[in-house]
Amino acid sequence: MEKWLASWSVNIAIAFTALRTNLMRSILTMLGVLIGVFAVTLAVAVGNGAQVSVMQSINSFGSNMAIIVPEPDNEGGRRSFDRGRLTQRDLRAIEREVPGVIATAPQLRSTLDLVTPGANATTSSVGTTPGYGSITNHPADRGRYITEADVRSAARVLVLGRTTSETLFGEFDPVGESVRVDGVPFQVIGLLEEKGSTFGTDNDDTAVMPISTMRQRFVGDTLPGPDDLQLAFAGFEEGASLVQGKIDITNVLKDRYRVRDGEINPFRVRTTQEFMEESQFITGILQAVLVAIASISLLVGGIGIMNIMLVSVTERTREIGLRMALGAKRSDIRNQFLVEAAVLCVLGGAVGLALAWLAGTALTAYADFPVPIGLGVAIGSLIFSAVIGLAFGGYPAVRASRLSPIEALRTE
Amino acid sequence: MMATPATPRTTTDQPLIETRELVKSYNLGGETIHAVNGVSLSIEQGEYVAIMGTSGSGKSTFMNMIGCLDVPTSGQVLIDGTPTASMSSDELASLRNEKIGFVFQQFNLLARTSSIDNVAVPLIYAGIDKTERRERAIAKLHDMGLGDRLLNTPAKLSGGQQQRVAIARALVTEPLVLLADEPTGALDTRTSEEIMAIFEKLNAAGITVIVVTHEDEIADHAKRRIEFRDGKVIEDRIVKNRTVASAYADAESA
Repeated sequence: MEKWLASWSVNIAIAFTALRTNLMRSILTMLGVLIGVFAVTLAVAVGNGAQVSVMQSINSFGSNMAIIVPEPDNEGGRRSFDRGRLTQRDLRAIEREVPGVIATAPQLRSTLDLVTPGANATTSSVGTTPGYGSITNHPADRGRYITEADVRSAARVLVLGRTTSETLFGEFDPVGESVRVDGVPFQVIGLLEEKGSTFGTDNDDTAVMPISTMRQRFVGDTLPGPDDLQLAFAGFEEGASLVQGKIDITNVLKDRYRVRDGEINPFRVRTTQEFMEESQFITGILQAVLVAIASISLLVGGIGIMNIMLVSVTERTREIGLRMALGAKRSDIRNQFLVEAAVLCVLGGAVGLALAWLAGTALTAYADFPVPIGLGVAIGSLIFSAVIGLAFGGYPAVRASRLSPIEALRTE
Repeated sequence: MMATPATPRTTTDQPLIETRELVKSYNLGGETIHAVNGVSLSIEQGEYVAIMGTSGSGKSTFMNMIGCLDVPTSGQVLIDGTPTASMSSDELASLRNEKIGFVFQQFNLLARTSSIDNVAVPLIYAGIDKTERRERAIAKLHDMGLGDRLLNTPAKLSGGQQQRVAIARALVTEPLVLLADEPTGALDTRTSEEIMAIFEKLNAAGITVIVVTHEDEIADHAKRRIEFRDGKVIEDRIVKNRTVASAYADAESA
């Protein structure tokens, strides 16, 4: 082991001497690897960043839930429904019968005009029940949220999102103020927590009211039935299986609508887990494409290494012959040139990694997009550049080691 | 002044170098050229041999084969009683490292590398640790009268000094034999005498010295003279009236 280390430290010293001797050439060769490692590292980091931000936005939406849409499931089978079905009674059945469900929340959505004496806002508003706030991770942090009593009485009350509140009331506390919604007077009872935006959509540009109010006053005539919903959420307890949950919900609803085998469902159930898997798949493809493109530059850098190592071997043929005459084994010569190639690559790779880290930090700070270069990515890049060195330096090194001592010595 | 080198070790009572029907041939445009054509001779421990011949006589090819740098077409080379024909390239490398010291016409020092590091190169391949490499290289350089040139690179040394660094390098593994191929070919007459004086001292201390040369003045320092022509030995005799260079060289370096 000690001998092994010693022989490598000798080879590293020889490599640095050789690289210093042809400084300009060494730097240019390193530049090729540098650019390649920079591009690959950044591509990996951008892909990871996309993954992270998709996960964050899905989690911010509520991480463990099923989403039920009253749209016919188009996959195969006979169609015995002319439209999708989903009602509030279905939700109560789901709450009763599906294990693991903590709460459900219906949703009716409409874009409404909110007007105060001094301002107005056009806002995508939600009619729902009290459970909505906790299922979607978006409760009120000032005033109060809507209550069962509000729902029973179809109260004209409104919980505003941060952006909507600012548009209508500026810096003032809106709780207790009144707002006209499509001409109907409402009272603001609370303010939602700030949530930020997801993919350019401002989650704070919203208003929440009781579902009964929304149905009676705004969307009732657009719905097919008196109890119909546009969308519903079912929140599961921590650790519950969403795969099983989806099956259970589907079975409950199938039962209620008497869907026979071979017929399509008049509803669709999706889970946050599926969204995550799909987006992971998509960001995975994005990352693979980015890395593949970036790898081309690394490949070119590697070819540069091979080229310069072949030149180096040719230039130093006489030195190789001399070393062999003095007792160098083939493996000694091979390792000497392998180490030289690896040193070139690792130096270039280290600088490329440092630049990628700077670029990633700058992007994270200024472009509002996370580009994380973690320890794993960093170590991976360095190992990768060493592997490039060994792969592309391998052929020249083996060629050097196969020279006949006397022919190498005779070379002028 | 030059210290006496340790007496080299022999491992057998066989000749140090023995060749049997040694042949090296090349194919040049369909015609087979025998560079060395059936040479059988032996060189004993402690000899001082000059291998003579004109350019193309086969003397250098012969030396490359007994130095295990080149592989014979047929015939045998035995070093210290051991046949080399069946040795692997690694075994030959170890053999060169341990038993043979080479001195070349063009010195073949590594550029931009100090005298110490140049002399220490064979010790790297012998697996000697850094501290010992350094100590042994410095000791050999002192033996060669280069104690004040330890850190000079070849560019900062005269031709004679460079060749002395090369001799220190050849001796640093304490080999049995020193093989010198036209060692004075790139040096002026006075410096050549200096180098020949060193060889004489080394031989007096028990090291076998083999010098390949085409110059009679150089060959006359040796005890035995082997002359090649057309790949064959045409003369193999003891040198009478040897030139002795040491007195002159000592006066110079004192």
